[in-house]
Amino acid sequence: MDVGLFSQYVMNGLMLGMMYALVAVGFTLFFGVMDIINFSHGDVLTVGAFAGLATYLGLVEIGVSWPPAQVAIVLAVAIVCTAGLGAIVAKYLVLPLKDAPALNTLLLTLMLGTVLHEAIRLFYPLGANPQRFPSLLPTDAYTFGNFTLRIDNMMLLLAGTAVIVGIHLLINKTKLGLAIRAVAQDSETAKTMGINFTLIVLITFAIGSGLAAFAGILHGLYYSEINFAMGLLLGVIGFSSAIVGGLGNIYGAIIGGFLFAALQTIGVLAMPFASAYKDVFAFGVIILIMAWRPTGLIREKISERV
Amino acid sequence: MSGDAERGLVVEDVHTAYDKADVLEAVSLRAERGKITCLLGSNGSGKTTLIRSILGLTPPNRGRIVFDGTDLTDLPTHKVIAAGIACIPEGRQVFPKLTVEENLRLGGYQETSPKVLARRLDRVYETFPLLRERRQQISGTMSGGEQAMVSIGRGLMSAPKLLLLDEPSLGLSPILVKENFNIIRRINEEGITVFLVEQNVRQTLAIADFGYVLSKGRVVAAGTAEDLSKTTEVHRAYFG
Ligand SMILES: Nc1ncnc2c1ncn2[C@@H]1O[C@H](COP(=O)(O)OP(=O)(O)OP(=O)(O)O)[C@@H](O)[C@H]1O
Ligand SMILES: [Mg+2]
Repeated sequence: MDVGLFSQYVMNGLMLGMMYALVAVGFTLFFGVMDIINFSHGDVLTVGAFAGLATYLGLVEIGVSWPPAQVAIVLAVAIVCTAGLGAIVAKYLVLPLKDAPALNTLLLTLMLGTVLHEAIRLFYPLGANPQRFPSLLPTDAYTFGNFTLRIDNMMLLLAGTAVIVGIHLLINKTKLGLAIRAVAQDSETAKTMGINFTLIVLITFAIGSGLAAFAGILHGLYYSEINFAMGLLLGVIGFSSAIVGGLGNIYGAIIGGFLFAALQTIGVLAMPFASAYKDVFAFGVIILIMAWRPTGLIREKISERV
Repeated sequence: MSGDAERGLVVEDVHTAYDKADVLEAVSLRAERGKITCLLGSNGSGKTTLIRSILGLTPPNRGRIVFDGTDLTDLPTHKVIAAGIACIPEGRQVFPKLTVEENLRLGGYQETSPKVLARRLDRVYETFPLLRERRQQISGTMSGGEQAMVSIGRGLMSAPKLLLLDEPSLGLSPILVKENFNIIRRINEEGITVFLVEQNVRQTLAIADFGYVLSKGRVVAAGTAEDLSKTTEVHRAYFG
């Protein structure tokens, strides 16, 4: 295969991996502190993307037309919206159900997710149609043979990397991160350390959901389009990535996200005549990996949980 | 509101249950400020449940728990801790995947001054020099005795006024048990009020000022440690 074309695939794979990893980290954080699966997560991402789009339209309306300001405000509003939404989900759905079977929480968050994306479809103007997402980043491009390096894609990759590094630092180097890890390992003992358990859970859900908004905006900027159902597949992929990495383990989630994107890319490269089957291929391999390592690639976390 | 009577820990007519299973029935006791008070009782008598009630982990459904005049009865756990209480829980409960130092820092979670924390950390390392050497070790890989040090050190990191200890000598070798009791005595000599749950009757009464005996969720004997040791025969029944 041509080196330029190959590089293009790698670039695309990295971008997808970044989005999946960001979504997967949310799943894994929620599982860490509350031992639950929050299936509304993918649709929270959709809410974030639409909040960002609505903010952009509003900014244009009031005459803010400088792209850097637009990007910053769009991101900030989207992240604040979903962070708030995540905290609300934690407070009114997840925490009240903490003594109920985990399956109940799973079902309720699944229903909430449906409510969220159906609400977008019904109440966002022409919400049933795909919406064009503006390109807010410089679109200069350099061409090397078959490979086109777009500045905006580079910026997205760098921003995504920065966010992942930021999450790593937050979890491992700050007092808040220490509290989150303590709650994840043993919430009862964490309480006796003087940690405000409820607050830490709300903050963790806010962080995870904020990451989803970031991934949603990344998605919009990369594909120049969003739609009300975008969170469904992203949610399932993010969830699979978190599981395959070893649920509860942040690095596992990141590795899982990039692994899934790599599998999709390999699927496309290996079967260029049938690229629509890339997801079938990727999910198929994930199933094999899970059969080989039922608790995920990084396993210690779950075995210690018991 | 807080006369001398309300200094220290006061537990009044506490009833606690898990779901439907009643465990504590009308438990009343006090841990006087500056003293070592112990709670003896056989397996399943409700000692840990009382500690959980004090900490707000399993709040009582009747009765009152007051510490230095502050009513703890309906407070969430982190506010109980903020009142100046720390706990060395049953089974040590170190965070297995955190380092020794991270565990210790969590003990001082509510202290915001890095300077004060550094000083307390230093104190703990002076008490347990081994922990300084091992401060980057993952706690779950330490031996039981070493984890006991982490747990005690962690309990001291908040500079508590009252320390609750739930069977700290469980699972330790006789030498370490002795060392452990010495440490508890020293902690108390530094002015920390101690509420000690134990099954190790003789050594516990040797360092305690007051004691209570719990059986099937009720206080069946109370008195100075001296009085209680004289009646050891009486409640030998509880300890087998
Ligand atoms: N989470 C729980 N749910 C239901 N019952 C419980 C729970 N924890 C303890 N119990 C019951 O409450 C009673 C008292 O238990 P507790 O742990 O307080 O005893 P203990 O005096 O600390 O015993 P030990 O010396 O063995 O630690 C026991 O009968 C126990 O089975
Ligand atoms: Mg006990």
